[in-house]
Amino acid sequence: MTSSLAKAAGRTAAKRRSGGWEPFTVVSVIGVALFMLVCLIPFWVILSGSFTDEQTLAGKGYSFIPQPFSTAAYKLIFTGPTLVSAYVASIVITVAGTVLALSITSGLSWVIARRLPYVSRPLAIFAYIPMLFAGGLVPLYLLVTQYLKLQNSYLAVILPLLVAPFLVFIQVSAFRQLPEEILDSARVDGAGEMQIFFRIGLPLSKPILAVVGLFYAVHYWNEWFTALLFISDVHKYPLPLLLQNLISNVSFSQMLPTAAAQSTPVYQLRLALTVVTIGPILLAYPFAQRYFVKGITLGATKG
Amino acid sequence: MTTRTPVRSSLWLGLLAVPAVAFFLVFSYAPMAGLVVAFKEFDISEGIFGSPWNGLDNFRYFFASGDAQRILVNTIVLNVLFLAATLAAGVTLAIMLNEIRGRFFKRAAQSTIFFPYFVSPVVIAIMLQVLLSGPAGSGGVVNDALAGFGLPTVSWYTEPGPWPWILTFVKVWQMGGYMSVIFLAAITSIPEDVYEAGQIDGASRAQMALRITLPLLKPTAAVLLVLGVGRIFYGDFGTIYAIVGDNGTLFPTTDVIDTYVFRSLRQIGDFGTTAAIGLFQSVVGFVLVSTAVLIQRRYSKETSLL
Repeated sequence: MTSSLAKAAGRTAAKRRSGGWEPFTVVSVIGVALFMLVCLIPFWVILSGSFTDEQTLAGKGYSFIPQPFSTAAYKLIFTGPTLVSAYVASIVITVAGTVLALSITSGLSWVIARRLPYVSRPLAIFAYIPMLFAGGLVPLYLLVTQYLKLQNSYLAVILPLLVAPFLVFIQVSAFRQLPEEILDSARVDGAGEMQIFFRIGLPLSKPILAVVGLFYAVHYWNEWFTALLFISDVHKYPLPLLLQNLISNVSFSQMLPTAAAQSTPVYQLRLALTVVTIGPILLAYPFAQRYFVKGITLGATKG
Repeated sequence: MTTRTPVRSSLWLGLLAVPAVAFFLVFSYAPMAGLVVAFKEFDISEGIFGSPWNGLDNFRYFFASGDAQRILVNTIVLNVLFLAATLAAGVTLAIMLNEIRGRFFKRAAQSTIFFPYFVSPVVIAIMLQVLLSGPAGSGGVVNDALAGFGLPTVSWYTEPGPWPWILTFVKVWQMGGYMSVIFLAAITSIPEDVYEAGQIDGASRAQMALRITLPLLKPTAAVLLVLGVGRIFYGDFGTIYAIVGDNGTLFPTTDVIDTYVFRSLRQIGDFGTTAAIGLFQSVVGFVLVSTAVLIQRRYSKETSLL
């Protein structure tokens, strides 16, 4: 009797995984597919538009197939000095910012995670208070422009975002999961605390370093707001700021007679530049995505 | 060989935290002190501490201007809409994703809906322009579709009415996948035998989703809700400013504290009043965030934030 019940339960459990299509499953598949479509359409329209001839774009509007096909905007992007320098600026900001932010965050997180007497707890509180109370925009603006004098320097974009308390959370909880025995055995072998951090702690924490590093990298790559505040020299604009500038310029040129806008392919250029901005994230995405999912779930459940 | 005392070795190791401490001192704590500007008649040549005090004048000026009510209402209304919509979308997507059994499709779906989270607000602004306004003369993808169905087209960028909904839609687009990842992780941790019990009782999959999964997602939703309410005073500056920019016709429904502060800082250069608004925001925000953290800690110990 009991065994037949267990068998029945086993069958139904199996059915749950591989059984027929109930209406709710069908609805779910359709629902998810629709949301996927909504996510993808804007990207597709932009990609298609970036390859569409400017005249057609201006005359007929956007379409899902680039007809007639044109690469004029991309040629302009990779030959025009402003656009190349914006790309370089974004790369410099992203690489330097990520390396710096990841090192500093790792150092802080390690010290908090080791539960050192008199040090770790006060340090944790010190790092978390800024999450609760922030000085806001005006003091930051005055600090960077009046006291640090960092206008038109990439440091003005890099420095204010250097340590994200949320990522400190994630890293501390990951560092705490390292087995203490390994660290102790290194101590027995005569390794200093610094050596333990660099030779054992960091190498064993590669996955979490990837998570945190990727969060910083995406953040720096997309950052335009501090750039908008502190960088006024067009030749130093990072990519998103240049793009943002193009939005306002195009809406401005919409008010002008169309003849004025026809010298350069503004619409096409705007779309091509968008593609070029998303491109690197899209390329890194397949490798990075699982780390992000890990990071979010870690932050949401353990953080 | 020397034996280190714990205190000495911990101070030595503490050196690793020095750069971060310096960062917080300069970029988090110094600006807090800089908030005294809110009580000053700020003059750049005199600096923060040299400028004369003017008591609560900056605050009075802000609350007397007609803007205060508008931006406070907008901030709260928009954030409530964003929070409700992204939570609902996250739960719905997670439950639906959980139904999908094809591993390849499930993974493709997750990757696709998660991607918008990584897209810069500036890019989102351009997408929205493509959808809503289109290049010179023509009306954009949405208007083309409306015209195709014989419906009247809308001049979106001069019409403030629909914008709270447009921005909410953008928010769902941007955060729906992110939220679903969190909820899907919560669903995965629901023990299998709960569903087996439901199965034996003859529940359909829809019933199990509604009667088992949904109630069991409540704690996760509660945590996210409380944290979201705590941040209700901080509008999502980047996205709104990138989309709306300085388009004044849309301000009645889209101008929030952050965008207002940013504009008055850049265009008017009125540091005193702007700092006063910032301080007001920080204080109310602090009360809300701390309350949220306290509530959340009481609510669920294992997911405590601090």
